[in-house]
Amino acid sequence: MAHVVLKDLVKTYGSFKAVNEVSLTINDGEFVALVGPSGCGKTTTLNLVAGLTSATSGDIFIGDRVVNDLDPKDRDIAMVFQNYALYPQKSVYMNLAFPLQMRKLPKGEIDRKVREAARVLDMTQLLERKPRELSGGQQQRVALGRALVRDPAVFLMDEPLSNLDAKLRVQMRSEIKRFHQDLKATIIYVTHDQLEAVTMADRMAVMNGGYLQQYDSPAQVFAHPANMFVASFVGSPAMSLIPLEASMGNGGAVLTSAEGWSLELSPRNAQKVARATTKKVVLGARHSTIKLHKSAVPGAIPAKAYTVEPTGDVTFVQALLSGAIVNISVSPNIAVTPDEQIWLEFDQERMHLFDSETEMALEAN
Amino acid sequence: MSTVSETISRGQPARRLRIDGWRWGGRAFLVFMLLYTALPMIWMLLTSIKSGFAAMQFPPQWWPDQPTLASYQKLLDPQNSVGQDFLRFFWNSLIVSTATTILSVIVAVPAAYAFSRFTFPGRNFLFFAVLLRNMFPAVIFLVPLFILMRAIGLVNTHGSLVLTYLTFGLPLAIWLLKGFYDNIPVQLEQAARIDGATRFQAFILIVMPLSAPGIIATAIYSFIGAWNEYIYAYTFLSKNEQLTLPVGIQRFFSENTTDFPGLMAASFMMSVPVVVLFLLLQRYFVRALTEGAVKH
Repeated sequence: MAHVVLKDLVKTYGSFKAVNEVSLTINDGEFVALVGPSGCGKTTTLNLVAGLTSATSGDIFIGDRVVNDLDPKDRDIAMVFQNYALYPQKSVYMNLAFPLQMRKLPKGEIDRKVREAARVLDMTQLLERKPRELSGGQQQRVALGRALVRDPAVFLMDEPLSNLDAKLRVQMRSEIKRFHQDLKATIIYVTHDQLEAVTMADRMAVMNGGYLQQYDSPAQVFAHPANMFVASFVGSPAMSLIPLEASMGNGGAVLTSAEGWSLELSPRNAQKVARATTKKVVLGARHSTIKLHKSAVPGAIPAKAYTVEPTGDVTFVQALLSGAIVNISVSPNIAVTPDEQIWLEFDQERMHLFDSETEMALEAN
Repeated sequence: MSTVSETISRGQPARRLRIDGWRWGGRAFLVFMLLYTALPMIWMLLTSIKSGFAAMQFPPQWWPDQPTLASYQKLLDPQNSVGQDFLRFFWNSLIVSTATTILSVIVAVPAAYAFSRFTFPGRNFLFFAVLLRNMFPAVIFLVPLFILMRAIGLVNTHGSLVLTYLTFGLPLAIWLLKGFYDNIPVQLEQAARIDGATRFQAFILIVMPLSAPGIIATAIYSFIGAWNEYIYAYTFLSKNEQLTLPVGIQRFFSENTTDFPGLMAASFMMSVPVVVLFLLLQRYFVRALTEGAVKH
């Protein structure tokens, strides 16, 4: 296993910048998820590490080697592809053996390693089958097996779960996590699904438009999103973002809506707002930090319920507030009907404030 | 349960018995096409086993009274001049067609792969330029190519034919194969390269076996094209010992009186390699032509 360092990595296609000055350090044995919407540059970044595309500028280190100019085969990596990329003409056994054959290992050792990998992944009985005779989950497992027979320095995974059905995805998610814990493997895992990143990774790198937005542990990213993009991308349902106007006065601060209502901020939040470059700030609140009242309460803001989505455990209520849709989760025994008048109370401790110009999170001191 | 299965079993035959004009029209059309293509072949075969006299009779003998293999014996006998000529023509055709096939695969495979996988300056222009040749009827090139072949001293050689057939066969071969490579996920090669293969090894070990049906289809296509070609062979070759089958058969049998059973026997034997090839490899051929029609 090895650590991986990306330094000021840039990849341009013509005038299009796919990856923009991305710098990341992935520690030995760490599971890092690259996450972002499609076209954010995460897969390009992974391909750069794999050597499938070459960087326009910047450096890639695997271990202590600069690998910029090395062929994929010389980088000591293994990769799991979204479509698994199993060799269709080869049996499972030969698929697993291929990386070892390419490295000219003796036949006996190849056989031993292939059978060991098959045993670990519980597919010994599938060794003679062709990939097309396997289910999606089994194919996924073979792809994983082909990556781990060789004991590479780094595992690269490109959306390995997105071709599986929902149930299998959850199952494989925990298997890959277990696999990481057992092997202490360095894993770079690309996904567009923030939930996979949050549940599996030690650290997640959120990307958008070719730029690295935030690189931190899932808990930190969730609790302290660096900007509005991260705030709205991580977490489901998405964080509600409400554009408001700030006004300062006698030590405190008040947020006012064009709709007429206003919200007095706690001293700590007032401090944050004071650091904004503009009067227009954005209030961010996760569904679980907003309290729904069916009658007026001091400090609560009047709103109208828009849609109601019962999911069994919780009911999600969407309300229109200052032109934004606000998600609130409530207990299923609270009955809310669409168009009903409701009052929303924001948790000042857990609310987020963003500068609407820079879109960056506002932090106290 | 029983009511459900009853309704189903009662409903099924009713649907099948319904007279469907389109379906019957389709069947009639297929039968017509079958007769249209098969009858000449059958007549060729029947004539080839008649005696010379029986072949000329009117009304015709639908079924030969005294079937004979004399024509075949004559053609395949290296002792007499007819047999010698026929076997030589056959051999010439085989050489020209095989050379064309091998060369067209050797050129088309890397060309198609490059068009499919790499971006390079002029890629689109080249790709359509490749097709330009096929927009004109082949005879247009007859005189220019003849002058060209004379200039480079290839007239009366099999090389002139192989070169010409390549220019005709390669465009479609490249297009056919490119479609094939487009359908092979690029991730397979990437996986192979990560697994320790060089780019070339990835191509040879992973991509080539997968494109085998396409290569076979390309090969059949080139072979048949070269095997049947007449006009160029007729123009470029004048020496008797170099003639290919289509020209040879024609010249050979129309010199004096036409020996119809002999002509038909020769034609039949000429179609044997093509038919055998096609029957053996037809599933690849069909697969190659429909590949890409549906997403896997």
